[in-house]
Amino acid sequence: MNLELSAFLILLAISVVVPTILFLLVRTSLNDLLRHTLKLQAGITFYLRSFLLVLYLASLSAAIGTSFDLKPGSRFMEYVWKGAEGLSSSLEKTLWFVAIYLVLITILVATLKVRDDE
Amino acid sequence: MTNERYLIVSYFVCAALAIALGLLAYLYLRRPFAGVADAAPGKSLPSMLKRLFPCGLVLPALFGFVSVSYRSCDRTTYSEIVASRSYLVAKNQEQIASILLSILVAVLFWNLVGLLILRFAHGGRDGSTVRQLDD
Repeated sequence: MNLELSAFLILLAISVVVPTILFLLVRTSLNDLLRHTLKLQAGITFYLRSFLLVLYLASLSAAIGTSFDLKPGSRFMEYVWKGAEGLSSSLEKTLWFVAIYLVLITILVATLKVRDDE
Repeated sequence: MTNERYLIVSYFVCAALAIALGLLAYLYLRRPFAGVADAAPGKSLPSMLKRLFPCGLVLPALFGFVSVSYRSCDRTTYSEIVASRSYLVAKNQEQIASILLSILVAVLFWNLVGLLILRFAHGGRDGSTVRQLDD
């Protein structure tokens, strides 16, 4: 297996592992929050599944978009730097979309809580 | 395989991938979204939302695919585009990234629609109605 493909596969693997860890860390608390806010079980499932999709799609879109098209005879560290560049892009995109999702969930919780309080 | 043949095959494979990924996202979210849509007021709105939902995921995926152009500043003619295999591979990667991003934006849009449905359904229903919806 050549170095370009190995570097791409490693980046892809990291881009799957990071969102998985993030989802496992947040899943229980997000589930509890949604359970307290929504009375509809389908709504809880919908927002949890959407969160998982947001994480994977954001992370993978950045990772797959990274091109390892380096000059022939490039050194090992050049591939590492390119991989780090791809990982940086993947993490940045994931964080931005998680932030957007959090804003959405905050609005959801705030509006439905206000109605409950009324 | 020549570069031109690779271009033709990869282009249609990416188009099929766009439809497949849009459909996968739809199948993954279909049941919970149907439950949320059922909470929408009126009779025709839930049915309309459920019919629009697959289009609202597959069409953005296709949009993401077609939004990537093979022409760039340094490659304007067809022969320049098919000259380099690595350029074609990079464009395929760009297409897949664009498909995933478009589905992501579509999912967030449907989350917003779900929020609005729940906002209006929540105020107008009591606990028993909601429990019926759960069943």
